[in-house]
Amino acid sequence: MKKFLTMFVLSAFLASTAFAQGAIKIGANWNLADITGNHGSKGAMLAVEEINKAGGVLGKQLQLVIVDDEGKGDKGVAAIEKLVTVDKVDFLIGGMSSAVALAQVPTMKKYQKVVVSTGAASYLVENALGADADWYFHLHPWDYTQGASYLEGWTAIRNKYPNIKIDRMFLAYEEGAFGKSSYDSSKKMFEKDFQFDGESFKSAALGGGDYTAMIEKAKEYKPDIFLWAGYDADALPMLEQAKAMRFSPPLFVGAPPGWPKDFGKSKLADNVTLYGMWAPSINDVNPVSKKFYDAFVAKYKEEPATYFGPLAYSAVYVLAEGIKRAGSLDSTAVIKALEQTKYLSALGETISFSPSNVIKHQGIRNQKILQWQNGRQEVIWPFEVQTRPPVYPFPAWK
Amino acid sequence: MTVNRKAVPWIILGAAAVVAILAWKPTVLIYGVQRAGLYASVAIPMALVLGIVHIVNLAHGEIMMVSAYLTYNIARSIGLDPWLALLPVALVMGIMGYFIFQLTIRHTLKAPELNQLILTFGIAITMTQAISLIFTPQTRKLPLSYVSMSATIGETSFGVYDFVYVAIALLMGFGIKWFLSNTRMGKAAVAVGQNPRGAAIVGIDVMKTYVFIFTVSVILVGMTGSVFMTRQSIFPYVGSPYTMKSFSLVAMAGIGSISGIIYSSLLLGIAEAAINGIRGASGWSGIVFFLIIIIVIAVRAYKGRKL
Repeated sequence: MKKFLTMFVLSAFLASTAFAQGAIKIGANWNLADITGNHGSKGAMLAVEEINKAGGVLGKQLQLVIVDDEGKGDKGVAAIEKLVTVDKVDFLIGGMSSAVALAQVPTMKKYQKVVVSTGAASYLVENALGADADWYFHLHPWDYTQGASYLEGWTAIRNKYPNIKIDRMFLAYEEGAFGKSSYDSSKKMFEKDFQFDGESFKSAALGGGDYTAMIEKAKEYKPDIFLWAGYDADALPMLEQAKAMRFSPPLFVGAPPGWPKDFGKSKLADNVTLYGMWAPSINDVNPVSKKFYDAFVAKYKEEPATYFGPLAYSAVYVLAEGIKRAGSLDSTAVIKALEQTKYLSALGETISFSPSNVIKHQGIRNQKILQWQNGRQEVIWPFEVQTRPPVYPFPAWK
Repeated sequence: MTVNRKAVPWIILGAAAVVAILAWKPTVLIYGVQRAGLYASVAIPMALVLGIVHIVNLAHGEIMMVSAYLTYNIARSIGLDPWLALLPVALVMGIMGYFIFQLTIRHTLKAPELNQLILTFGIAITMTQAISLIFTPQTRKLPLSYVSMSATIGETSFGVYDFVYVAIALLMGFGIKWFLSNTRMGKAAVAVGQNPRGAAIVGIDVMKTYVFIFTVSVILVGMTGSVFMTRQSIFPYVGSPYTMKSFSLVAMAGIGSISGIIYSSLLLGIAEAAINGIRGASGWSGIVFFLIIIIVIAVRAYKGRKL
């Protein structure tokens, strides 16, 4: 906490120095109490520091102004209002929660600042933005592009590794809105190509944590692939109960938004498959990822624990390069320049923008399929950034 | 051994339910009993405080959460198993309980109940926010191999570790009953619980009794927290649902009834497990929990009115 406060004081000092020279002001909002916002803001601050050290953009220093949205819609709206009217920022970045983004849309529409968004997976945000929001550049995949990427990924894995049999899928989902929408969209997506079934459970994050009934049903179904959509609080207890009940499906896949601290250190984590956008193992195949990782660890003395670190880092670079190409801070020029983006990101892929179902500027479309192997998250798909082949089947419990 | 005639239909009904569940899905009974053990071991310390000090402690689950974090950190920093860390944690929780009472609750004992509720609610929020600031909201879970202990009967494998909650609940229940019936302090506590003014007239130090009982309840729920973190992930908000469940159980069992809590937990635990056992019905288990509580309290109120 102390470190974080020092960091903010330091960034405020650097910011005030930059302001004296006529800085380019970037406003950002994240939920700073959450690990995604905490590491996202750190990633963005790191990028700003690197860019400023290298001479800034258009001869000016970048100044990052971060506001805590607390993961709440009303605070998110207030954050945009403050950034635009009080701090008078030139551009906006950041975000994680779809609910916060949804609440922010009318305010963003009112000011029409160029936004490079790092969050919001829900298609509802895209619908609220509408086709005219050409100032909105969305880096994070939408829920439906994520779903499509899983289907593509599993199909590719099945084709490349004929020993991996994926016919019967079972989706365990937490009984809240997140789990239910995951189940509905997955069912729609997968039931054409796979036999599909599922069962809900009460997440430990919401006062549950007993998975026995759900595991019994999954065990009866005998799936080739067992997926669960819940929260980080469910990760280890679910594996422990699966072990106690001797449930070891050939593929054990988790899809929580984050993993508990030190999950990888548990023996039970080995060979659990997961979805994500980044893992430290990408350093082996991507120099930008390695540069980001080394600088992050050197500056903050901790590993980036979530893909929001490299995603926010990339957002700053994408914006900075767009401003450079535009040669001015004029919104129309920057929008045109951002449309030309081709940025090899720390996430392991080159970011460029193209239309999605509604908006004109969608960046990343795919999530990656990863697997915990010897305490590390290894990329098993897409094959272009694969760091290890998949371990299959998930070993039977000893 | 004599059996109350009024209880005979209930015993027959219970036995029939057990036989039916065993025939349908034996694991429902296993998981239901395990779940009942957890509920009872968290609720019994609350019943103790409510029965004797007459305070609804809305920070009950949060105290359990603080103890879980304390255990986690002791286990992480010096490599002590949580079951061994339980003893120093109990000591720290005892000191914490003493100070919470002396600094806050003591001053609201004669205040309206609403003030007491707001006070303990405030303590709960303070604890949650403090833990969130110190440890961040990130989830933590200690990997422990023994929590996956299992047994196999026929083709069914099931976890057996959660039976520790049953053992804790029984130990706690019988231990408190013995203490209240056989020790000087226990008898004094019962007297204070029934009539504090009368107890004071016959020379019992009421405030000392309150401090002692509150401290003991914090130690007990703290020890449950130490065991809880071996099984569950911990995060700053993990305790609050257990405050609500404990309070509901205490209300269902009857204020201060320890054996009532054990029976109520059994009923609710098995009912929840049975609902979870039905395909696609697990979302209803939380509703069934509160529905049964409403029915029991309503029936009791109706009977009371008839008398």
